[in-house]
Amino acid sequence: MGLLTILKKMKQKEREMRLLMLGLDNAGKTTILKKFNGEDISTISPTLGFNIQTLEHRGFKLNMWDVGGQKSLRSYWRNYFESTDGLVWVVDSADRLRLQDCKQELSTLLLEERLAGATLLVFANKQDLPGALSKEAIREELALDDIKSHHWCIIDCSAVTGENLLSGVDWLLDDIAARIFTAD
Amino acid sequence: MEPAHEFGEETDSAGDNGAAKVQDRLQKRNQARIDDVERRKEEKESQSVAEEKLEYFSSTFKREQMCIEDLLSGCSGADQGVVNQRLEEATIKIVQLQKFLNDSVLFLTQYELRQAQSALQKLQGSLAEIREKALPKKKFAFRARTKVADKVSEQETDSAPPYCTPPADLGEVVRGSSSKLFGFSNMDNQYLTKTSEEINKRDVLLSHLSNCKVRLYGSPSTLHLKHIDKCEILCGPVATSVFIDDCRNSTLSFPCQQLRTHSTTDTQVYLHVTSRAIIEDCHGVSFAPFSWSYPTLEEDFNVSGLNKDSNNWNQVDDFYWLAAGTPSPNWTTIPEADRKTNWDP
Repeated sequence: MGLLTILKKMKQKEREMRLLMLGLDNAGKTTILKKFNGEDISTISPTLGFNIQTLEHRGFKLNMWDVGGQKSLRSYWRNYFESTDGLVWVVDSADRLRLQDCKQELSTLLLEERLAGATLLVFANKQDLPGALSKEAIREELALDDIKSHHWCIIDCSAVTGENLLSGVDWLLDDIAARIFTAD
Repeated sequence: MEPAHEFGEETDSAGDNGAAKVQDRLQKRNQARIDDVERRKEEKESQSVAEEKLEYFSSTFKREQMCIEDLLSGCSGADQGVVNQRLEEATIKIVQLQKFLNDSVLFLTQYELRQAQSALQKLQGSLAEIREKALPKKKFAFRARTKVADKVSEQETDSAPPYCTPPADLGEVVRGSSSKLFGFSNMDNQYLTKTSEEINKRDVLLSHLSNCKVRLYGSPSTLHLKHIDKCEILCGPVATSVFIDDCRNSTLSFPCQQLRTHSTTDTQVYLHVTSRAIIEDCHGVSFAPFSWSYPTLEEDFNVSGLNKDSNNWNQVDDFYWLAAGTPSPNWTTIPEADRKTNWDP
Protein backbone atom coordinates (compact mmCIF):
# COMPACT_ATOMS: atom_id res chain seq x y z
CA MET A 1 0.00 0.00 0.00
CA GLY A 2 1.55 3.22 -1.17
CA LEU A 3 1.32 6.67 0.25
CA LEU A 4 -1.25 7.66 -2.34
CA THR A 5 -3.62 4.88 -1.35
CA ILE A 6 -3.28 5.80 2.30
CA LEU A 7 -4.09 9.38 1.46
CA LYS A 8 -7.04 8.29 -0.62
CA LYS A 9 -8.34 6.16 2.21
CA MET A 10 -8.07 8.99 4.66
CA LYS A 11 -9.95 11.23 2.30
CA GLN A 12 -12.77 8.77 2.01
CA LYS A 13 -13.27 8.73 5.70
CA GLU A 14 -13.46 12.48 5.79
CA ARG A 15 -16.68 13.94 7.02
CA GLU A 16 -19.07 14.29 4.19
CA MET A 17 -22.47 15.94 4.03
CA ARG A 18 -25.10 16.11 1.36
CA LEU A 19 -27.03 19.36 1.11
CA LEU A 20 -30.04 19.79 -1.13
CA MET A 21 -30.99 23.27 -2.23
CA LEU A 22 -34.58 23.81 -3.33
CA GLY A 23 -37.04 26.66 -3.73
CA LEU A 24 -39.27 28.30 -6.32
CA ASP A 25 -37.76 29.42 -9.60
CA ASN A 26 -35.92 32.74 -9.45
CA ALA A 27 -35.29 32.35 -5.70
CA GLY A 28 -31.53 32.53 -6.24
CA LYS A 29 -30.41 28.97 -5.59
CA THR A 30 -27.77 28.84 -8.29
CA THR A 31 -26.55 32.31 -7.37
CA ILE A 32 -26.10 31.25 -3.73
CA LEU A 33 -24.21 28.15 -4.80
CA LYS A 34 -21.92 30.03 -7.16
CA LYS A 35 -21.34 32.89 -4.77
CA PHE A 36 -20.49 30.45 -2.01
CA ASN A 37 -18.04 28.80 -4.32
CA GLY A 38 -16.57 32.11 -5.42
CA GLU A 39 -17.67 31.89 -9.03
CA ASP A 40 -18.97 34.56 -11.38
CA ILE A 41 -22.67 35.22 -10.80
CA SER A 42 -23.43 37.71 -13.55
CA THR A 43 -24.26 35.20 -16.27
CA ILE A 44 -26.47 32.75 -14.40
CA SER A 45 -29.48 31.56 -16.35
CA PRO A 46 -32.53 29.65 -15.12
CA THR A 47 -31.43 26.15 -14.19
CA LEU A 48 -32.54 23.48 -16.61
CA GLY A 49 -31.81 20.37 -14.60
CA PHE A 50 -29.42 20.65 -11.69
CA ASN A 51 -25.94 21.73 -10.58
CA ILE A 52 -23.67 19.88 -8.18
CA GLN A 53 -20.73 21.40 -6.37
CA THR A 54 -18.43 19.66 -4.00
CA LEU A 55 -16.62 21.99 -1.70
CA GLU A 56 -14.59 21.89 1.47
CA HIS A 57 -15.69 24.05 4.33
CA ARG A 58 -14.44 23.84 7.90
CA GLY A 59 -13.05 20.36 7.31
CA PHE A 60 -16.33 19.06 5.99
CA LYS A 61 -16.82 17.92 2.46
CA LEU A 62 -20.08 19.40 1.24
CA ASN A 63 -21.92 17.93 -1.70
CA MET A 64 -24.32 20.68 -2.64
CA TRP A 65 -27.14 19.90 -5.04
CA ASP A 66 -28.96 22.76 -6.66
CA VAL A 67 -32.07 21.62 -8.52
CA GLY A 68 -34.07 23.86 -10.87
CA GLY A 69 -37.24 25.34 -9.37
CA GLN A 70 -39.44 25.78 -12.44
CA LYS A 71 -42.88 24.30 -12.05
CA SER A 72 -42.13 21.60 -14.63
CA LEU A 73 -39.07 20.51 -12.66
CA ARG A 74 -40.61 20.37 -9.20
CA SER A 75 -41.99 16.88 -9.73
CA TYR A 76 -38.38 15.73 -10.18
CA TRP A 77 -37.26 17.08 -6.80
CA ARG A 78 -38.17 13.75 -5.27
CA ASN A 79 -35.33 12.12 -7.18
CA TYR A 80 -32.83 14.02 -5.08
CA PHE A 81 -34.23 13.37 -1.60
CA GLU A 82 -32.27 10.21 -0.81
CA SER A 83 -29.69 10.54 1.98
CA THR A 84 -29.98 14.29 2.30
CA ASP A 85 -28.44 15.65 5.50
CA GLY A 86 -29.50 19.23 5.10
CA LEU A 87 -32.23 20.96 3.14
CA VAL A 88 -31.69 24.56 2.11
CA TRP A 89 -34.95 26.25 1.19
CA VAL A 90 -34.34 29.47 -0.70
CA VAL A 91 -36.98 32.20 -0.72
CA ASP A 92 -37.08 35.29 -2.92
CA SER A 93 -37.95 37.80 -0.21
CA ALA A 94 -39.11 40.34 -2.79
CA ASP A 95 -41.52 37.98 -4.51
CA ARG A 96 -44.67 38.69 -2.49
CA LEU A 97 -46.93 37.35 -5.19
CA ARG A 98 -45.74 33.81 -4.81
CA LEU A 99 -45.17 33.52 -1.08
CA GLN A 100 -48.25 31.32 -0.80
CA ASP A 101 -46.90 29.06 -3.55
CA CYS A 102 -43.65 28.98 -1.68
CA LYS A 103 -45.32 28.03 1.58
CA GLN A 104 -47.31 25.31 -0.15
CA GLU A 105 -44.25 23.75 -1.79
CA LEU A 106 -42.26 23.82 1.43
CA SER A 107 -44.94 22.16 3.49
CA THR A 108 -45.35 19.41 0.90
CA LEU A 109 -41.63 18.89 1.00
CA LEU A 110 -41.53 18.56 4.78
CA LEU A 111 -44.07 15.75 4.68
CA GLU A 112 -41.65 13.74 2.58
CA GLU A 113 -40.49 10.66 4.42
CA ARG A 114 -37.03 10.60 2.87
CA LEU A 115 -36.32 14.09 4.17
CA ALA A 116 -37.48 13.24 7.66
CA GLY A 117 -34.09 13.48 9.34
CA ALA A 118 -32.80 16.49 7.43
CA THR A 119 -32.08 19.85 8.99
CA LEU A 120 -33.89 22.77 7.36
CA LEU A 121 -32.23 26.09 6.64
CA VAL A 122 -34.44 28.80 5.15
CA PHE A 123 -32.58 31.53 3.30
CA ALA A 124 -34.61 34.74 3.04
CA ASN A 125 -32.66 35.79 -0.02
CA LYS A 126 -32.46 39.06 -1.98
CA GLN A 127 -32.27 41.27 1.08
CA ASP A 128 -30.33 43.72 -1.07
CA LEU A 129 -33.50 44.58 -3.00
CA PRO A 130 -35.47 47.57 -1.72
CA GLY A 131 -38.77 45.65 -1.80
CA ALA A 132 -37.54 42.66 0.20
CA LEU A 133 -39.59 41.39 3.15
CA SER A 134 -37.77 40.96 6.45
CA LYS A 135 -36.96 37.50 7.72
CA GLU A 136 -39.56 37.92 10.46
CA ALA A 137 -42.24 38.60 7.86
CA ILE A 138 -41.18 35.55 5.87
CA ARG A 139 -41.09 33.41 8.97
CA GLU A 140 -44.66 34.41 9.63
CA GLU A 141 -45.84 34.05 6.01
CA LEU A 142 -44.36 30.58 5.69
CA ALA A 143 -45.62 29.62 9.18
CA LEU A 144 -42.21 28.29 10.08
CA ASP A 145 -43.09 28.23 13.77
CA ASP A 146 -45.52 25.42 13.03
CA ILE A 147 -42.71 23.15 11.88
CA LYS A 148 -42.15 20.56 14.56
CA SER A 149 -40.76 17.77 12.43
CA HIS A 150 -37.37 19.29 11.58
CA HIS A 151 -34.68 21.40 13.15
CA TRP A 152 -34.99 24.69 11.30
CA CYS A 153 -33.56 28.18 11.18
CA ILE A 154 -34.23 31.22 8.99
CA ILE A 155 -31.40 33.49 7.92
CA ASP A 156 -31.74 36.68 5.89
CA CYS A 157 -29.13 36.89 3.20
CA SER A 158 -28.19 38.29 -0.16
CA ALA A 159 -26.61 36.02 -2.71
CA VAL A 160 -25.51 39.02 -4.75
CA THR A 161 -23.53 40.65 -1.94
CA GLY A 162 -22.78 37.36 -0.19
CA GLU A 163 -24.09 38.73 3.10
CA ASN A 164 -24.91 36.07 5.72
CA LEU A 165 -24.39 33.13 3.37
CA LEU A 166 -21.58 31.85 5.54
CA SER A 167 -23.39 32.19 8.81
CA GLY A 168 -26.33 30.29 7.37
CA VAL A 169 -24.22 27.42 6.13
CA ASP A 170 -22.27 27.39 9.39
CA TRP A 171 -25.46 26.97 11.38
CA LEU A 172 -26.50 24.16 9.08
CA LEU A 173 -23.16 22.40 9.46
CA ASP A 174 -23.22 22.70 13.23
CA ASP A 175 -26.69 21.26 13.45
CA ILE A 176 -25.96 18.37 11.12
CA ALA A 177 -22.60 17.65 12.72
CA ALA A 178 -24.15 17.51 16.17
CA ARG A 179 -26.59 14.96 14.85
CA ILE A 180 -24.53 12.64 12.69
CA PHE A 181 -20.97 12.85 13.92
CA THR A 182 -21.55 12.36 17.63
CA ALA A 183 -20.09 8.87 17.35
CA ASP A 184 -16.59 10.22 16.76
CA MET B 1 61.42 -23.10 -5.43
CA GLU B 2 60.70 -23.27 -1.82
CA PRO B 3 59.92 -19.70 -1.36
CA ALA B 4 58.09 -19.77 -4.56
CA HIS B 5 56.14 -22.76 -3.41
CA GLU B 6 55.53 -21.18 -0.14
CA PHE B 7 54.46 -18.14 -1.89
CA GLY B 8 52.32 -20.27 -4.10
CA GLU B 9 50.82 -21.99 -1.09
CA GLU B 10 50.38 -18.75 0.55
CA THR B 11 48.65 -17.32 -2.42
CA ASP B 12 46.64 -20.53 -2.69
CA SER B 13 45.54 -20.39 0.89
CA ALA B 14 44.92 -16.70 0.52
CA GLY B 15 42.90 -17.54 -2.60
CA ASP B 16 41.00 -20.24 -0.73
CA ASN B 17 40.46 -17.88 2.06
CA GLY B 18 39.28 -15.16 -0.33
CA ALA B 19 36.94 -17.50 -2.18
CA ALA B 20 35.43 -18.68 1.08
CA LYS B 21 34.97 -15.14 2.17
CA VAL B 22 33.32 -14.16 -1.07
CA GLN B 23 31.03 -17.15 -0.89
CA ASP B 24 30.24 -16.37 2.67
CA ARG B 25 29.51 -12.80 1.81
CA LEU B 26 27.36 -13.83 -1.10
CA GLN B 27 25.42 -16.22 1.03
CA LYS B 28 24.90 -13.58 3.66
CA ARG B 29 23.73 -11.14 1.09
CA ASN B 30 21.41 -13.73 -0.38
CA GLN B 31 20.03 -14.47 3.06
CA ALA B 32 19.51 -10.79 3.71
CA ARG B 33 17.70 -10.45 0.42
CA ILE B 34 15.44 -13.39 1.20
CA ASP B 35 14.79 -12.02 4.65
CA ASP B 36 13.97 -8.71 3.18
CA VAL B 37 11.54 -10.24 0.73
CA GLU B 38 9.93 -12.22 3.56
CA ARG B 39 9.71 -9.14 5.70
CA ARG B 40 8.10 -7.15 2.95
CA LYS B 41 5.69 -9.95 2.24
CA GLU B 42 4.68 -10.08 5.86
CA GLU B 43 4.36 -6.37 6.01
CA LYS B 44 2.14 -6.37 2.99
CA GLU B 45 0.01 -9.16 4.38
CA SER B 46 -0.37 -7.48 7.71
CA GLN B 47 -1.54 -4.33 6.00
CA SER B 48 -3.96 -5.77 3.53
CA VAL B 49 -7.37 -6.62 4.82
CA ALA B 50 -9.38 -9.63 3.83
CA GLU B 51 -12.08 -7.38 2.38
CA GLU B 52 -9.54 -5.83 0.10
CA LYS B 53 -8.61 -9.00 -1.66
CA LEU B 54 -9.57 -9.35 -5.23
CA GLU B 55 -11.03 -12.83 -4.68
CA TYR B 56 -13.22 -11.55 -1.92
CA PHE B 57 -14.48 -8.77 -4.12
CA SER B 58 -15.20 -10.88 -7.14
CA SER B 59 -16.92 -13.62 -5.19
CA THR B 60 -19.08 -11.17 -3.24
CA PHE B 61 -19.88 -9.21 -6.36
CA LYS B 62 -20.79 -12.39 -8.26
CA ARG B 63 -22.97 -13.60 -5.44
CA GLU B 64 -24.88 -10.34 -5.18
CA GLN B 65 -25.20 -10.13 -8.92
CA MET B 66 -26.69 -13.62 -9.10
CA CYS B 67 -29.01 -12.76 -6.27
CA ILE B 68 -30.33 -9.69 -8.07
CA GLU B 69 -30.65 -11.58 -11.32
CA ASP B 70 -32.70 -14.22 -9.53
CA LEU B 71 -34.92 -11.54 -8.07
CA LEU B 72 -35.46 -9.99 -11.47
CA SER B 73 -36.07 -13.23 -13.30
CA GLY B 74 -38.61 -14.21 -10.65
CA CYS B 75 -40.69 -11.22 -11.61
CA SER B 76 -42.19 -12.63 -14.78
CA GLY B 77 -45.54 -14.22 -14.17
CA ALA B 78 -45.76 -13.25 -10.52
CA ASP B 79 -48.61 -11.07 -9.37
CA GLN B 80 -48.47 -7.32 -8.94
CA GLY B 81 -47.74 -7.20 -5.23
CA VAL B 82 -44.92 -9.74 -5.42
CA VAL B 83 -43.38 -8.03 -8.43
CA ASN B 84 -43.52 -4.72 -6.65
CA GLN B 85 -41.79 -6.11 -3.63
CA ARG B 86 -39.15 -7.87 -5.72
CA LEU B 87 -38.41 -4.78 -7.74
CA GLU B 88 -38.08 -2.75 -4.60
CA GLU B 89 -35.70 -5.29 -3.16
CA ALA B 90 -33.70 -5.45 -6.38
CA THR B 91 -33.39 -1.67 -6.46
CA ILE B 92 -32.03 -1.60 -2.93
CA LYS B 93 -29.61 -4.40 -3.69
CA ILE B 94 -28.32 -2.68 -6.80
CA VAL B 95 -27.70 0.48 -4.85
CA GLN B 96 -25.84 -1.50 -2.19
CA LEU B 97 -23.80 -3.24 -4.82
CA GLN B 98 -22.91 0.08 -6.41
CA LYS B 99 -21.75 1.27 -3.02
CA PHE B 100 -19.71 -1.85 -2.50
CA LEU B 101 -18.07 -1.28 -5.86
CA ASN B 102 -17.37 2.33 -5.01
CA ASP B 103 -15.76 1.30 -1.75
CA SER B 104 -13.62 -1.24 -3.53
CA VAL B 105 -12.37 1.04 -6.29
CA LEU B 106 -9.11 1.57 -4.43
CA PHE B 107 -7.73 -1.90 -4.90
CA LEU B 108 -9.36 -2.93 -8.17
CA THR B 109 -7.59 -2.87 -11.50
CA GLN B 110 -9.05 -0.89 -14.35
CA TYR B 111 -10.25 -4.03 -16.03
CA GLU B 112 -12.15 -5.35 -13.03
CA LEU B 113 -13.65 -1.95 -12.40
CA ARG B 114 -14.96 -1.77 -15.95
CA GLN B 115 -16.31 -5.28 -15.77
CA ALA B 116 -18.12 -4.62 -12.54
CA GLN B 117 -19.49 -1.34 -13.79
CA SER B 118 -20.84 -2.82 -16.95
CA ALA B 119 -22.38 -5.67 -14.99
CA LEU B 120 -24.10 -3.15 -12.76
CA GLN B 121 -25.29 -1.19 -15.73
CA LYS B 122 -26.75 -4.30 -17.23
CA LEU B 123 -28.56 -5.05 -14.00
CA GLN B 124 -29.96 -1.57 -13.88
CA GLY B 125 -31.04 -1.82 -17.49
CA SER B 126 -32.90 -5.05 -16.97
CA LEU B 127 -34.46 -3.69 -13.78
CA ALA B 128 -35.81 -0.71 -15.70
CA GLU B 129 -37.02 -2.98 -18.46
CA ILE B 130 -38.84 -5.29 -16.11
CA ARG B 131 -40.31 -2.40 -14.25
CA GLU B 132 -41.58 -0.99 -17.51
CA LYS B 133 -43.02 -4.32 -18.57
CA ALA B 134 -44.47 -5.36 -15.26
CA LEU B 135 -45.93 -2.08 -14.16
CA PRO B 136 -46.80 -0.08 -17.25
CA LYS B 137 -50.09 1.04 -15.84
CA LYS B 138 -48.55 2.39 -12.74
CA LYS B 139 -46.09 4.42 -14.76
CA PHE B 140 -48.70 6.14 -16.85
CA ALA B 141 -51.02 6.62 -13.96
CA PHE B 142 -48.20 8.20 -12.04
CA ARG B 143 -47.48 10.71 -14.80
CA ALA B 144 -51.08 11.59 -15.32
CA ARG B 145 -51.60 11.96 -11.63
CA THR B 146 -48.69 14.33 -11.13
CA LYS B 147 -49.98 16.47 -13.97
CA VAL B 148 -53.43 16.49 -12.48
CA ALA B 149 -51.97 17.21 -9.08
CA ASP B 150 -50.02 20.10 -10.55
CA LYS B 151 -53.10 21.42 -12.24
CA VAL B 152 -55.09 21.04 -9.09
CA SER B 153 -52.57 22.87 -6.97
CA GLU B 154 -52.39 25.51 -9.67
CA GLN B 155 -56.11 25.88 -9.63
CA GLU B 156 -56.12 25.89 -5.93
CA THR B 157 -53.64 28.70 -5.71
CA ASP B 158 -55.21 30.57 -8.56
CA SER B 159 -58.88 30.08 -8.04
CA ALA B 160 -59.41 28.90 -4.49
CA PRO B 161 -58.64 32.20 -2.78
CA PRO B 162 -61.55 34.06 -4.44
CA TYR B 163 -63.97 31.94 -2.47
CA CYS B 164 -62.62 32.96 0.86
CA THR B 165 -60.72 36.18 0.21
CA PRO B 166 -60.62 38.79 -2.54
CA PRO B 167 -58.78 37.76 -5.75
CA ALA B 168 -55.37 36.31 -5.04
CA ASP B 169 -53.37 39.08 -6.66
CA LEU B 170 -55.26 41.85 -5.02
CA GLY B 171 -55.36 40.15 -1.63
CA GLU B 172 -51.66 39.50 -1.58
CA VAL B 173 -50.73 42.93 -2.83
CA VAL B 174 -52.83 44.45 -0.12
CA ARG B 175 -51.38 42.22 2.53
CA GLY B 176 -47.82 42.76 1.35
CA SER B 177 -47.06 46.41 1.44
CA SER B 178 -48.82 47.81 -1.59
CA SER B 179 -46.41 50.70 -1.74
CA LYS B 180 -43.66 48.35 -2.88
CA LEU B 181 -45.54 46.41 -5.53
CA PHE B 182 -47.84 48.27 -7.81
CA GLY B 183 -48.98 48.75 -11.39
CA PHE B 184 -52.24 48.39 -13.25
CA SER B 185 -54.92 45.77 -12.93
CA ASN B 186 -58.42 45.02 -14.15
CA MET B 187 -58.44 47.42 -17.09
CA ASP B 188 -59.88 47.21 -20.58
CA ASN B 189 -59.24 49.35 -23.65
CA GLN B 190 -56.93 51.88 -22.04
CA TYR B 191 -53.68 53.67 -22.83
CA LEU B 192 -51.58 53.52 -19.66
CA THR B 193 -48.19 55.02 -18.83
CA LYS B 194 -45.86 55.26 -15.85
CA THR B 195 -42.82 57.50 -15.47
CA SER B 196 -39.39 56.63 -14.11
CA GLU B 197 -40.12 58.48 -10.84
CA GLU B 198 -42.98 56.08 -10.28
CA ILE B 199 -41.37 52.79 -11.14
CA ASN B 200 -37.58 53.01 -10.74
CA LYS B 201 -36.23 50.22 -8.52
CA ARG B 202 -39.71 48.96 -7.70
CA ASP B 203 -41.61 45.77 -8.43
CA VAL B 204 -44.27 46.39 -11.03
CA LEU B 205 -47.31 44.18 -11.51
CA LEU B 206 -49.67 44.33 -14.46
CA SER B 207 -52.61 41.96 -14.18
CA HIS B 208 -55.98 41.29 -15.79
CA LEU B 209 -55.49 43.72 -18.66
CA SER B 210 -57.11 43.37 -22.06
CA ASN B 211 -56.89 45.48 -25.20
CA CYS B 212 -54.56 47.92 -23.44
CA LYS B 213 -51.46 49.77 -24.57
CA VAL B 214 -48.96 50.19 -21.74
CA ARG B 215 -45.76 52.25 -21.74
CA LEU B 216 -43.51 52.06 -18.70
CA TYR B 217 -40.73 54.66 -18.99
CA GLY B 218 -38.17 53.75 -16.36
CA SER B 219 -36.23 50.90 -14.79
CA PRO B 220 -38.25 48.70 -12.43
CA SER B 221 -36.60 46.07 -10.24
CA THR B 222 -38.89 43.28 -11.46
CA LEU B 223 -41.86 43.18 -13.79
CA HIS B 224 -44.77 40.75 -13.38
CA LEU B 225 -47.33 40.31 -16.16
CA LYS B 226 -50.34 38.15 -15.28
CA HIS B 227 -53.52 37.38 -17.19
CA ILE B 228 -52.87 39.66 -20.15
CA ASP B 229 -54.93 39.52 -23.34
CA LYS B 230 -54.46 41.45 -26.61
CA CYS B 231 -52.20 44.08 -25.09
CA GLU B 232 -49.10 45.92 -26.21
CA ILE B 233 -46.75 46.38 -23.27
CA LEU B 234 -43.42 48.20 -23.53
CA CYS B 235 -41.12 48.70 -20.60
CA GLY B 236 -37.69 50.19 -19.90
CA PRO B 237 -34.76 48.09 -18.66
CA VAL B 238 -35.77 45.69 -15.86
CA ALA B 239 -32.90 45.21 -13.41
CA THR B 240 -33.61 41.54 -12.60
CA SER B 241 -36.35 39.21 -13.83
CA VAL B 242 -39.50 39.58 -15.85
CA PHE B 243 -42.27 37.06 -15.10
CA ILE B 244 -44.98 36.44 -17.64
CA ASP B 245 -47.90 34.25 -16.66
CA ASP B 246 -50.98 33.50 -18.73
CA CYS B 247 -50.55 36.02 -21.49
CA ARG B 248 -52.28 35.79 -24.89
CA ASN B 249 -52.25 37.51 -28.29
CA SER B 250 -50.01 40.28 -27.07
CA THR B 251 -46.87 42.16 -28.03
CA LEU B 252 -44.28 42.81 -25.35
CA SER B 253 -40.96 44.59 -25.37
CA PHE B 254 -38.37 45.17 -22.66
CA PRO B 255 -34.72 44.67 -21.72
CA CYS B 256 -34.15 42.49 -18.64
CA GLN B 257 -31.67 40.18 -16.96
CA GLN B 258 -33.82 37.03 -17.05
CA LEU B 259 -37.15 36.29 -18.63
CA ARG B 260 -39.43 33.58 -17.25
CA THR B 261 -42.49 32.90 -19.36
CA HIS B 262 -45.28 30.59 -18.22
CA SER B 263 -48.56 29.40 -19.79
CA THR B 264 -48.39 31.94 -22.58
CA THR B 265 -49.70 31.60 -26.14
CA ASP B 266 -49.41 33.55 -29.39
CA THR B 267 -47.33 36.38 -28.04
CA GLN B 268 -44.48 38.32 -29.58
CA VAL B 269 -41.60 39.40 -27.39
CA TYR B 270 -39.10 42.04 -28.53
CA LEU B 271 -36.44 41.23 -26.06
CA HIS B 272 -33.07 42.27 -24.70
CA VAL B 273 -31.95 39.67 -22.19
CA THR B 274 -28.46 39.57 -20.70
CA SER B 275 -28.78 36.10 -19.16
CA ARG B 276 -31.39 33.73 -20.56
CA ALA B 277 -35.04 33.58 -21.46
CA ILE B 278 -37.07 30.50 -20.60
CA ILE B 279 -40.53 29.37 -21.55
CA GLU B 280 -42.61 26.80 -19.72
CA ASP B 281 -45.97 25.49 -20.89
CA CYS B 282 -46.11 27.95 -23.81
CA HIS B 283 -47.01 27.77 -27.52
CA GLY B 284 -46.64 30.20 -30.36
CA VAL B 285 -44.27 32.52 -28.58
CA SER B 286 -41.99 34.41 -30.96
CA PHE B 287 -38.94 36.48 -30.24
CA ALA B 288 -37.10 39.38 -31.86
CA PRO B 289 -34.46 41.78 -30.58
CA PHE B 290 -35.57 44.77 -28.49
CA SER B 291 -36.15 47.75 -30.73
CA TRP B 292 -38.32 50.21 -28.81
CA SER B 293 -36.67 53.46 -27.88
CA TYR B 294 -37.54 56.56 -25.85
CA PRO B 295 -35.56 59.64 -24.86
CA THR B 296 -34.27 58.47 -21.47
CA LEU B 297 -33.65 54.83 -22.41
CA GLU B 298 -29.87 55.13 -22.12
CA GLU B 299 -30.18 56.61 -18.64
CA ASP B 300 -32.53 53.84 -17.55
CA PHE B 301 -30.09 51.26 -18.84
CA ASN B 302 -27.52 52.75 -16.48
CA VAL B 303 -29.97 52.65 -13.58
CA SER B 304 -30.72 48.98 -14.22
CA GLY B 305 -27.08 48.01 -14.49
CA LEU B 306 -27.81 45.83 -17.52
CA ASN B 307 -25.16 45.36 -20.17
CA LYS B 308 -26.45 46.98 -23.31
CA ASP B 309 -24.08 45.02 -25.53
CA SER B 310 -25.01 41.50 -24.51
CA ASN B 311 -28.34 40.32 -25.84
CA ASN B 312 -29.30 36.62 -25.88
CA TRP B 313 -32.81 37.20 -27.23
CA ASN B 314 -32.68 34.13 -29.46
CA GLN B 315 -31.36 31.66 -26.87
CA VAL B 316 -34.52 30.41 -25.28
CA ASP B 317 -34.75 27.35 -23.00
CA ASP B 318 -38.04 25.50 -23.18
CA PHE B 319 -38.67 23.56 -19.97
CA TYR B 320 -41.37 21.58 -21.75
CA TRP B 321 -39.00 20.50 -24.49
CA LEU B 322 -36.04 18.68 -23.09
CA ALA B 323 -35.01 16.79 -26.24
CA ALA B 324 -31.51 17.85 -27.14
CA GLY B 325 -30.78 18.42 -30.78
CA THR B 326 -34.33 19.05 -31.96
CA PRO B 327 -35.48 22.65 -31.58
CA SER B 328 -38.56 23.30 -29.50
CA PRO B 329 -41.76 23.73 -31.54
CA ASN B 330 -43.13 26.10 -28.94
CA TRP B 331 -41.17 29.19 -29.89
CA THR B 332 -39.75 30.82 -33.02
CA THR B 333 -37.84 33.92 -34.00
CA ILE B 334 -39.71 36.58 -35.93
CA PRO B 335 -38.30 36.92 -39.47
CA GLU B 336 -36.63 40.26 -39.97
CA ALA B 337 -39.12 41.38 -42.59
CA ASP B 338 -42.03 40.87 -40.20
CA ARG B 339 -40.57 42.69 -37.22
CA LYS B 340 -42.37 45.67 -35.87
CA THR B 341 -40.41 48.91 -36.19
CA ASN B 342 -42.95 51.58 -35.43
CA TRP B 343 -43.87 51.68 -31.76
CA ASP B 344 -46.00 54.84 -31.82
CA PRO B 345 -49.14 54.23 -29.82
